[in-house]
Amino acid sequence: MAEQQLRGQDKLTLLLTLVPYLVERGRVGVAEAAEHFGVTPEQLREAVTLIAVSGVPGQTRQYQPDDLFDIAWDSFEEDDEIELTHLVALDETPRFSAPEAAALIAGLQYVQALPENAERPAITALMSKLARGSSGTPSPLAVGGGRPDATLGVVREAIEAGRRLEFDYRSSRGESSRRTIDPLRIDSLDRDWYVRGWDHAREASRTFRIDRMSEVRVGDEPATEASRRVRVPDHLFEPSPDDVEVDVEVPAGALALLGGFVDSQARIVEHDGRLRLTLRLAHHRVLGPLASRLAGVLTVLGPPEARRAVVEWAQAGLRRYDDDPAT
Amino acid sequence: MWGMPTPPKVPVEERLFSLVLALLATEHGLTKSDILSTVQGYRQRYAHGGDNTALERQFERDKDDIRELGVPLETVAEPGQTDNQQLRYRIPKSAYELPADVHFTPEELTLLGLAARVWREGSLSADSRRAILKLAAHGELDPVIGLAPRLHTRERAFEPLSRALERRAIVTFPYLKPGESEARVRRVRPLSLVQHDGRWYLGAFDDDAGGERTFLLSRISGDVTVTAHTFPGDDVDHARATLDDLQRLWDQNVARVTVEPGSDAEVRLRHRAEVEDGALTIHYVDTNVLADELAAYGPEVLVLSPPRLRDAVIDRLRAAVERHDEARPDHEAAHG
Repeated sequence: MAEQQLRGQDKLTLLLTLVPYLVERGRVGVAEAAEHFGVTPEQLREAVTLIAVSGVPGQTRQYQPDDLFDIAWDSFEEDDEIELTHLVALDETPRFSAPEAAALIAGLQYVQALPENAERPAITALMSKLARGSSGTPSPLAVGGGRPDATLGVVREAIEAGRRLEFDYRSSRGESSRRTIDPLRIDSLDRDWYVRGWDHAREASRTFRIDRMSEVRVGDEPATEASRRVRVPDHLFEPSPDDVEVDVEVPAGALALLGGFVDSQARIVEHDGRLRLTLRLAHHRVLGPLASRLAGVLTVLGPPEARRAVVEWAQAGLRRYDDDPAT
Repeated sequence: MWGMPTPPKVPVEERLFSLVLALLATEHGLTKSDILSTVQGYRQRYAHGGDNTALERQFERDKDDIRELGVPLETVAEPGQTDNQQLRYRIPKSAYELPADVHFTPEELTLLGLAARVWREGSLSADSRRAILKLAAHGELDPVIGLAPRLHTRERAFEPLSRALERRAIVTFPYLKPGESEARVRRVRPLSLVQHDGRWYLGAFDDDAGGERTFLLSRISGDVTVTAHTFPGDDVDHARATLDDLQRLWDQNVARVTVEPGSDAEVRLRHRAEVEDGALTIHYVDTNVLADELAAYGPEVLVLSPPRLRDAVIDRLRAAVERHDEARPDHEAAHG
């Protein structure tokens, strides 16, 4: 958040929480406080300067010196350190708003999916504490269901122990191979979990879907020091020069069903109330599954080999049922 | 307005901060004219005995902004009083401050930091960003090494629906029900937003259907309109109730399928299935949603039961063949 512009409400929140933090800390350096709140030193200095000249109208309604906050100006200006020397009206931390409390509670429910948190009673207690610390009933927001994937526990164990991770991986191209990686980070997007790691055989950092991994074990060797310094990019998917382009059509409004397949730069053309666009895919192989999943809504327009891939896939699926008539 | 000196510009956050301080400091409350004429950021623009309409509107907006942050800005009316100008405003300290018995241990703060960062993309990020600021007053929010879970609220409907939930406003939206290919407009009272097994649902009371229904956010196929019609709240924990309903369905509905050895389907479905007599059993909420997913596996999956699911998968595979075998769309328009 450090590089972000703060909006009015965010700035006010910073002011209201900075005061009790400073009361608690006594004297603290600007750099340390800025890092603590995830803002730039400049943004923090601005906030401190504002607090130092703020206060209440007071008896005289003229904002007399005694009605204002004060700081140790010399240490602020010379040593870049903050110390509040006079307080007015405010010294405790504010409650959470209902949506803030809801965001935290729902976030905790999601984090509970991690194997190490699954049975933690602390999380339930924490949720009720948040509800009590909210200024209104937390917004009706909740996350749950599904079951934690046991593989996740093994991956987490390898990361914590600083060891390598070994597993069979089946790529989206349908190729299987044994991999050895230094696991760096677990990522997730809703129901899908990923692990990023340094792939020793390929000498590159790679992303693996947890549900494409099998025969997973923590390796005997430690993860190498070099791999720890690999910067993990924040985006999960990177386009590849091997991608193929396919033209498709969906009813207006069904676009969201294509989810991650739609590039943010994709050009979408309306045609008779339907939308036409070009998808970038790793391989024509993924089209059969995609068009079968969205059979009621998606039409692949071309190229012809893409349409053929869909027909072959779906026909092969139907043959399974012809060979196995329902009893 | 000639001859009036231009008032010095006071930054928004200074005006809001001064308003909060003034209202926290007052015991009996301040009237609107007290506030506008004395509080920093307003007083510079206050016209004594003149027209302050613009400033009053500013004050109304500021009140909303402050309340949105969870600051309990109260209105106190004297008994029998009818004059709006005599209303008093204040922020009671006891309702502003976190209750004295609410403390967070370092371990809890780490968990809360992780929970807040789950939202770093999407509509709730403004709330979680402010929650992080408030948490920071309590101690260190150390990031958890090697862990970056994320909840997406990419569905366009999320933001207007959460706004409607806060206001208890009736909403309308076109909905493409799973298994159907035409959207229909729904008019509902939103009660909760929940994510179950990785999918976002709206729990709502559907006036036309005369009962509570759940809607998949990914199936809301157009803009959500938040109407001006509101409905009274109750003290039911709707989020919990919706989640429990979905979980009950998930527990009840069991599919049995076989998978091709060594296939994608085998590798991936095994992560969330149990193996019984050579078949995989998979729990699910909605037949059509699971049918979409299983149809995608084509020849790699054979659905044994229930029959409804089996038929739904066959229908999809047939539709995919028909659509791509016979239809001859003109390719020019696709590139036009």
